[in-house]
Amino acid sequence: MDFLNALVAFANFVFVPGLAYGAQLAIGALGVTMIYGILRFSNFAHGDTMAFGTAITILFTTAFIGMGITFGPLPTALLALPFGIGATILLLLGTDWAVYKFYREQKASPVILVIVSMGVMFVMNGIVRFIIGVRDINFADGERFIVTARGFRDFTGLDEGLAIKTTQAITVVVAFIVMALLFWFLNKTRTGKSMRAFSDNEDLALLSGINPDWVVKVTWMIVAALATTAGVLYGLDKSFKAFTYFQLLLPIFAAAIVGGLGSPLGAIAGGFVIAFSEVTITYAWKKVLTYLLPESLAPDGLVQLLSTDYKFAVSFAILIIVLLFKPTGLFKGKSV
Amino acid sequence: MSDNPYQNDRGNKDRSITKDGGGTLSAAQNDPRQSTGQKGEPFLIGDAMTGGYGKGPDILHGCTIAAERGEIAVIVGPNGAGKSTAMKAVFGMLNVNQGAVRLDGEDITHLSPQERVVKGMGFVPQTSNIFTSMTVEENLEMGAFIRRDDFRDTMTQVYDLFPILKEKRNQAAGELSGGQRQQVAVGRALMTKPKVLMLDEPTAGVSPIVMDELFDRIIEVARTGIPILMVEQNARQALEIADKAYVLVQGRNAHTGTGKELLADQEVRRSFLGG
Repeated sequence: MDFLNALVAFANFVFVPGLAYGAQLAIGALGVTMIYGILRFSNFAHGDTMAFGTAITILFTTAFIGMGITFGPLPTALLALPFGIGATILLLLGTDWAVYKFYREQKASPVILVIVSMGVMFVMNGIVRFIIGVRDINFADGERFIVTARGFRDFTGLDEGLAIKTTQAITVVVAFIVMALLFWFLNKTRTGKSMRAFSDNEDLALLSGINPDWVVKVTWMIVAALATTAGVLYGLDKSFKAFTYFQLLLPIFAAAIVGGLGSPLGAIAGGFVIAFSEVTITYAWKKVLTYLLPESLAPDGLVQLLSTDYKFAVSFAILIIVLLFKPTGLFKGKSV
Repeated sequence: MSDNPYQNDRGNKDRSITKDGGGTLSAAQNDPRQSTGQKGEPFLIGDAMTGGYGKGPDILHGCTIAAERGEIAVIVGPNGAGKSTAMKAVFGMLNVNQGAVRLDGEDITHLSPQERVVKGMGFVPQTSNIFTSMTVEENLEMGAFIRRDDFRDTMTQVYDLFPILKEKRNQAAGELSGGQRQQVAVGRALMTKPKVLMLDEPTAGVSPIVMDELFDRIIEVARTGIPILMVEQNARQALEIADKAYVLVQGRNAHTGTGKELLADQEVRRSFLGG
């Protein structure tokens, strides 16, 4: 019984939250890795792109609820998501036209584009705060739990409860669909293959008649969809705050680099590695250990390695370790 | 290389924020010109081309190279003679200040390399001429990118020509040996059903046995009626299979003739075939 209780406590406080957080990071990292693979620079504006997409989705969600449109037990934000994606596509294509295109035509070296994306980041940062403000916004509605802690306890007769939030389940399901769609697109469709070809060898892609402008446009559109989806899922699961999204940049980059920049599979694996490391290191293991260890060895303290305030230190440490010992990442960072 | 400050990488070698290997291909800026082909001139001709990269000095000086239907034309010459440059001029990657490039009697001097591919020119660059991370079959599919019709027949033909590629169709092209990679590269260029095929040193860096095999394959391609224009380092072997050969020295035509003639030519032998 104690072992089962420990397992349930672990699932409730570590596995389920880690899985949801990992899926959110993975979708975010997929966007970063697409830009890196095809446009050849690290896009520092990705966190704020996520914030923008989420902000627009929140506005539409509020409007829908005002009009009395809801999604039953599911969050209304899912209905608003396509509109958020649409707006983000417009924003990214506009940014590309106004900013990045110039540097592409100059054949600017990618390191310049990295710095340019930093400038774009600050501008987007301002736009988001201007649109929706700096406060914490909770926009999840509908059914809150699929499995409640009390319901689980009554059902199993265990001491520990397991709660699964609707948003956590939605996150995992949506992430799975998004990843399947993306892989299908990149590996099976003509446009997807041409994007991989462009990422692999730009000159030869041109000689094969692949239109670089179209590849760049499609990339931005996919990135907009990925960023908005990741942002909305994160916001539903936790809450929306412009500054938090800016900070998400670090775990997302850590995820993309741990997996191997440019490799979509790596981005997904990296997302889960980072998420589970963060959650396991900042979780207070007292409860689980009390169940598992004999009474005499039961811990007095919280057995928390790091306070949750330091969670970014975890991704930062992993990032540095990977860059020192395996700079190509887990999946060898081959091109998309 | 260039004084464009945007291209200054400042010694950046950080692969965690940037990915190298971006596009280097720059299309030439050539004004359209009125040149008409004479009757009976070769299918593809770079006629008295003078030109160089960008605003730089001229590298080619009145250089003429051409490929006839069903024939193999070879460009040979010492290092730095402008062999590859002449090829690039024909393919629109070099500013041609004087002279013209004509395909089937039509002036194409002002077209970009991509437009020339659409016109029916197939080009196999010397290096990075395959998509290493994609499978052999995907490489061929990308070769046929501009085609909207069913290209399965062409793919079968390529597989018939290079049976080893059929065997390795689902393998990443980057995992193949040097000779097999060249076959993928040639196969990719053949997928557009080109009217003329241009090869830039197809045997660079492969073993002598593989080189012989590649030459055999190239002859087979030529037999299907596709004119081939080829730059070659291995002058002796290249001249043996050449129907027409151009010896370039310092960007000028030094000798022109059939492969056999040049092989027999005392001066050609002495100056760079080594006796």
